[in-house]
Amino acid sequence: MAKGLDIDHLAKLARLNLTAEEKVLYSNQLTHVLTYFETLAKADLPAVSDVAMVVSEKALRSDEPGVSLGSDAVTKIAPASHDGQISVPRVVDDES
Amino acid sequence: MAEEIYKLSATEISSRLTAGKLTSRAVVEALIARYHQLNKKIGAFTSLDEKDVLAQADASDARRKAGKVLSPLDGIPVAIKENIAVKGQPLTCSSKMLANLVSPYDAHVVEALKSAGAIIYGRLNMDEFAMGSSTENSAIQKTFNPWDLTCIPGGSSGGSAASLASGLVPLALGSDTGGSIRQPASHCGIVGMKPTYGLVSRFGLVAFASSLDQIGPMARTVADCELLLNVLATPDARDMTCFDSTQRNQLPVASEKSLRIGIPKGLLVKGVGAEVAAATQAAIDFYKSKGATIVEVDLPSSDLAVPTYYVVATAEASSNLARYDGVRYGHRSANAKTPIEMMTNSRSEGFGPEVKRRILLGTFVLSAGYADAYYVRALRARSKIRAEHLAALEKVDMILSPTVPTPAFKVGEKVSDPLQLYLEDIFTIPANLAGLPALSVPCGKSGHLPVGFHLVGAPLSEHKLFAAAQLFESAHSFANQQPTL
Repeated sequence: MAKGLDIDHLAKLARLNLTAEEKVLYSNQLTHVLTYFETLAKADLPAVSDVAMVVSEKALRSDEPGVSLGSDAVTKIAPASHDGQISVPRVVDDES
Repeated sequence: MAEEIYKLSATEISSRLTAGKLTSRAVVEALIARYHQLNKKIGAFTSLDEKDVLAQADASDARRKAGKVLSPLDGIPVAIKENIAVKGQPLTCSSKMLANLVSPYDAHVVEALKSAGAIIYGRLNMDEFAMGSSTENSAIQKTFNPWDLTCIPGGSSGGSAASLASGLVPLALGSDTGGSIRQPASHCGIVGMKPTYGLVSRFGLVAFASSLDQIGPMARTVADCELLLNVLATPDARDMTCFDSTQRNQLPVASEKSLRIGIPKGLLVKGVGAEVAAATQAAIDFYKSKGATIVEVDLPSSDLAVPTYYVVATAEASSNLARYDGVRYGHRSANAKTPIEMMTNSRSEGFGPEVKRRILLGTFVLSAGYADAYYVRALRARSKIRAEHLAALEKVDMILSPTVPTPAFKVGEKVSDPLQLYLEDIFTIPANLAGLPALSVPCGKSGHLPVGFHLVGAPLSEHKLFAAAQLFESAHSFANQQPTL
């Protein structure tokens, strides 16, 4: 089952840069772990899962306004901010 | 007497505070002195704000003087794992990713402790984002087992367990996703409980695998562990999986006479160390001698627990940790010109090797073409494991096993083999998958290293587990032990 492991594709999906050494290391380790997981493939299992949630829970709470952190507290922990807003590298070009 | 304060249990400190024989300031001063003496050696605490904890102690003493004591925990220090939010304090999760993060709010459990008058005492080292079983994955520092400084303390709540075993604090909070409270508790000779999923609010606990994570109490005695849990286990509407008051009012009543203990079939044969097996057998024999009925229980899907756990936990982790993109908080790479570069570089620079490994594994088991074979099958296996446990717990009050197959291993021994490390959790994982309460209790030694046994009960049977553990603890001398350091 582990033969489908494409480390470059996974790294891209996970938004991680991996060095050549890391690619080899993680491929080997994940293949080893996935081989161990093969007991799952062979197991006799119920047709459906009934514990997507371990405990029964109220579906949704009522939608009521409450106190939130506020922009000062939020921008204080942000890596970069400007005028009470979080700033990031430019997403779109100036000219179109 | 001052030099002995670090040996006292929380219950003992509480009664001395009540009797006016001790002040909270004296307790905190003694523990600060102990911290200076030992923390460099043990590496349990990542930070301790001395001025702040002394101010909290003075406030507690003033309340006591004014006759306004808030609870039995008033004035007693409780140390907090690095992944639980305390307003104004670091919340690093022992990761470079959150190295500079100061929490803007309190976790529900921290609010509860503050309302009870407890002293929020220092931050404890852990495996990065709670991923690990040895605390070797911390990006901040190493933590060592107080019973043998060449060994690991267990993990991920290794700082919590080591701080208790070395007398640095009487009570600590940990978090447990697959055994992260109970495994280090066993390795360090202390008591640790993972409550029923939903008993303790996860609000303010940095998410690893949300359907498995629970915050829980750790202490040097069963009574202390229960005292702490009683403060933590309150309803909280901010965690939708947290039980409301009606759901909580169904606690089973403990009755030692009718105690029925289940032993999983074939338990002590698979990779369990001889001394661990002997200590576990001695615990079983003890309960038998106290009139408990010992019943063999069949949990045929036990072999599926570890793979099921590592599929579910890494899938949830890969999703939960997607939030660390360098945008709102945490590390942002200085070398990024585009938003995608910012996200990818920030994550690559901020996460350590085990976190990357689990994100990649979780990404794989959720990816197109593989999700049905891995993630969906793991959910079905989880159903089966839960059903088998619930069926067994209809016949018995609790299931007993070792907490960990072998005692603490040497620092560095298993770092290169993730799968070996994952097998540390073989006895603790099913309780997380099934959402059940479970407890590790010290029950002996393997050489000079502590060993614990593990009790798993039906949902909300925490007090039954504590009563059974208390029965064992009272008849033995394993409680409140500290090595000479």
